[in-house]
Amino acid sequence: MASSANSNPVPKLYRSVIEDVINEVRELFLDEGVDEQVLMELKTLWENKLMQSKAVEGFHTEEQAALQAAAHQQAQQATQQAQAQQVLLPPQQQVTSWQSTRPTVTSAPQQQVIVQDPKILQHMSATGMSAAATAATLALPTGVSPYHQLITSQGNLSQNCYIKTADGQILQFVRAANGAQYIIQPQQQMVLQQQVLPQMQPGGVQAPVIQQVLAPLQGGHPQQTGVIIQPQQIVLTGNKVQQNAQVMQMPGQPGQVQQIQQQVQQVQQAQGGAAPGPPQQQAKQQPPMMLQVDGAGDTSSEDEDEEEEEYDEDEDEDKDKDGGEDGQVEEEPLNSEDDVSDEEDQELFDTENVVVCQYDKIHRSKNKWKFHLKDGIMNLNGRDYVFSKAIGDAEW
Amino acid sequence: MAYQLYRNTTLGNSLQESLDELIQTQQITPQLALQVLLQFDKAINTALANRVRNRVNFKGSLNTYRFCDNVWTFVLNDVEFREVTDLVKVDKVKIVACDGKKTAFETDVV
Repeated sequence: MASSANSNPVPKLYRSVIEDVINEVRELFLDEGVDEQVLMELKTLWENKLMQSKAVEGFHTEEQAALQAAAHQQAQQATQQAQAQQVLLPPQQQVTSWQSTRPTVTSAPQQQVIVQDPKILQHMSATGMSAAATAATLALPTGVSPYHQLITSQGNLSQNCYIKTADGQILQFVRAANGAQYIIQPQQQMVLQQQVLPQMQPGGVQAPVIQQVLAPLQGGHPQQTGVIIQPQQIVLTGNKVQQNAQVMQMPGQPGQVQQIQQQVQQVQQAQGGAAPGPPQQQAKQQPPMMLQVDGAGDTSSEDEDEEEEEYDEDEDEDKDKDGGEDGQVEEEPLNSEDDVSDEEDQELFDTENVVVCQYDKIHRSKNKWKFHLKDGIMNLNGRDYVFSKAIGDAEW
Repeated sequence: MAYQLYRNTTLGNSLQESLDELIQTQQITPQLALQVLLQFDKAINTALANRVRNRVNFKGSLNTYRFCDNVWTFVLNDVEFREVTDLVKVDKVKIVACDGKKTAFETDVV
């Protein structure tokens, strides 16, 4: 017999019950003058139905033991295949290495190059860059050399990325909360550069990563204002924060910023794969549809309303609304909350999860119930389970 | 005579259906079928009491409760059934429980 029953007591149990019953009733059958054949037929029917119901795992007749074993092996092979997935990059976090891409604005399709420093990835994911689509290369006005350094911040919404070109310029990518991006010409940052350089060494957290990150383009609504940043935390060194703040304050060069914004926009458009951004978020904020119960434009039939009112006045009966009738919401304001009857809808399921058992003790304290049950058979989500004891808690 | 509680289970229902088929084809009499079911009741009660040895915990929120004729019926929502090996979650479950004390039952009319 297959060993599948080891982990699951149900098939064995059922099997034993069937055997017991059949054996016990054999006498009865004979007493009635019913042929043994019929008894066998009963057994077969019973077992077949159990198998068909799929409620019991691994339930099989002895004839099918071999079949089951073969099916088992096939299933195991299938599961192994599912595991061999390489986490290249989740589409959310993509970084393009300068070394492998060309410095033009093209629509990077999807995942490109892998992050060289996995730690950066983690940081990036934490920052919420994940919403961004692909990383694309950006044509920087000054030309780009393969070597860049990246500083990422850990802010959730905004991000400050520094890219240092071979020229020694530090271009600052800024991503504001709404996803707008800016590149700030770094001329004023030259001062910072000297400060930045020595600190770029991995004295802090990470080795500089040779990457360019085009921050995720969320929504693509570049603000037309000046520099906006919400610098939050800077990964590498504490000094960066200050630098950041200083940089942030540069109000000048709006013209340049706009130029760069345009470039950024082009990039954004080229990518196309912008993650759902603010516009979509706004869309979600619409209030749910409300049904109007009374008044001129109510959604329910006016006649019924009147009838119900009269009925209640006369009879003073329980406002027993057929909750399922037409799915109407148009119940009397007075007692419309009394009925919690949504049973009719729920009874239409295929599987009603049922537990049949015996109770040892049922205890209640205020609205806290404790159940001590025993000897039960459960059918949950279509599958059968058994227990000798069950203890439960519920709040009413 | 044991509880007929377990007739509405996969095992019990499949037996009843099989018996019904045999009755349809007149291979057995309804009386015999009833006898079989009674025998099934005994067998399942015994089996559960003696051959099953596992524990389950569950928790959820209680939607309704009913106690009538010494039978508890509960409907719980958002329940987690936890066994050592695994966890099963359901949105709604109905629990029907008869009195587990032997004496209570055997005083019933057979």
